[in-house]
Amino acid sequence: MPITPLMIADIEQLIGSCVTDVFGTMLSMDVHPASPSDPADPPSEAHVASAVGFSGVITGVVYIYTSSSFARRCAGSMLGLTDAEIDGDEMVNDVMGEIANMVVGNLKSGLCDRGLTCVLTIPSIVRGRFSIEPISSSERKVFHFTCESRPLLVEVMIKHSSERAA
Amino acid sequence: MKPKILTVDDSKTIRLIVGKAFKPFDVDVFEASNGVEGLAVASREKPDIIILDITMPIMDGSECLAKLKSNPDLKSIPVIMLTAESGRENVLKIAKMGVRDYLVKPFKEDLLIERVGRVIELKAKGEGVKKAKRYDDPLSVLVVDDKPAIIEQIKSAVADTPWTVHGRTQTGEAVDFCSQNLPDAILVSLTLPDNAGFTLFQMFRASAKTKATPVFGMCVKTASEEQLRAQQVGFTGVVTKPLDPDELKSKICRSLNLDTSYKYFQQRDGVLVLSLPATLTPNVANEISLQLRPKVAEAVDSGLGKMVVDMGQLRVADVNLVRLGISAIQLCGELSLKHRLIGSSLVQQECRNYEETKDWQFVASFEEAVAALNDPMAVAA
Repeated sequence: MPITPLMIADIEQLIGSCVTDVFGTMLSMDVHPASPSDPADPPSEAHVASAVGFSGVITGVVYIYTSSSFARRCAGSMLGLTDAEIDGDEMVNDVMGEIANMVVGNLKSGLCDRGLTCVLTIPSIVRGRFSIEPISSSERKVFHFTCESRPLLVEVMIKHSSERAA
Repeated sequence: MKPKILTVDDSKTIRLIVGKAFKPFDVDVFEASNGVEGLAVASREKPDIIILDITMPIMDGSECLAKLKSNPDLKSIPVIMLTAESGRENVLKIAKMGVRDYLVKPFKEDLLIERVGRVIELKAKGEGVKKAKRYDDPLSVLVVDDKPAIIEQIKSAVADTPWTVHGRTQTGEAVDFCSQNLPDAILVSLTLPDNAGFTLFQMFRASAKTKATPVFGMCVKTASEEQLRAQQVGFTGVVTKPLDPDELKSKICRSLNLDTSYKYFQQRDGVLVLSLPATLTPNVANEISLQLRPKVAEAVDSGLGKMVVDMGQLRVADVNLVRLGISAIQLCGELSLKHRLIGSSLVQQECRNYEETKDWQFVASFEEAVAALNDPMAVAA
């Protein structure tokens, strides 16, 4: 099945809905779409990237980027803990992994309902100052959001159908 | 025995959220981080319900469920599946697996509690010891009325207690309040627009958190239709406006089975003393009357053989006093308890006007009463 511009647009809509739903329900936080030129973007401090892959009729990976301080804020909000009660980076990593799992799980449901069946990987977390460079055989789309005036980036990478067939 | 909940999820976050959700309830929550651990904990603890994630390392939820269902000891444990995937195909797959219910992530804590509450009985922590609560313990009362003046009236009606009144003018605000707090009693206006008071009552009853909380309707005395409807749908009671502070407090006390006996019954110098308040309203007389037999029996059981009924504070002797006094004296006779009555000259004079009380003999003080009780030659009142 070729990757058509229409499908990319669909993913954009799905991502927006999934991110809003997960942050609203689990963290009681409102997420707003933002443009890349927003002053809050990009984060100047080290960031946390949580990734969940999907593989099947459609194959790719979704990364969710936040600053490390905002990731900590998300962990506190999701678990109902104060900053002092958050027990190290492991707890923050687990929360960010779970957020990615929920976002991509909902994305997967939308894809499967459109016939693009796939299975998910277990979440993984990367911390530091870096950027993900797409390979030429993949298509990449970055979605910018703000949450409590902090930047939140969601990057979707999808492998081209020829790659998937290989 | 407390119900047991087992949460099987590789995400510590989800396990923490599940644990936090059930913290207000009298349950034990057990955790496992994959299907293999989940089966081991299930075999050991025999939980009343399992909340099972699907995507996990080592052994996923589907395999774990299949093994649970093939084990004769574990197959009857209800399972609620937790999944991040809400697609049609996935939902159908879950339904075929023989689970009791499923929940799609992201989920609200309240929804999780509600779904689990459909399967096991969730009792708020401390619900079983409510009987030990006293009138002077701090209580939380939620009042839902679109008229702020009524909320203020209720606040002033309970101002002589350590109770806290939380007023909310919108039903949505009341629901939000209950998602964060567990009030001891709830008062809801029956005349909120669009039947909102009745809808809110149904929501309280449907929620595992508030299903056992006493809920009173409020309306004017002439709103008989609303009162009847409230009775039919199961409100704990109805409080009529204008509010009578004593009636309001008395109804809340009865619904929570609060111990108010300490206000009237004390033990002093080896004597059980029943002190009647200055005003003996029908509600107060009824309250004391209900406590009389158990409190006197308790005193006799603990070795006391003397009782004083102190009417010294009473401002009026009326039919409420007559009935209560007769009950107390009869009970003393039944339990072979020596007794004396203390009364002001006003009460003594009024008692002479009733056929039933004209022969009552009074003393003026507790000391006199004790002296008379200790005198073997004295004749009972």
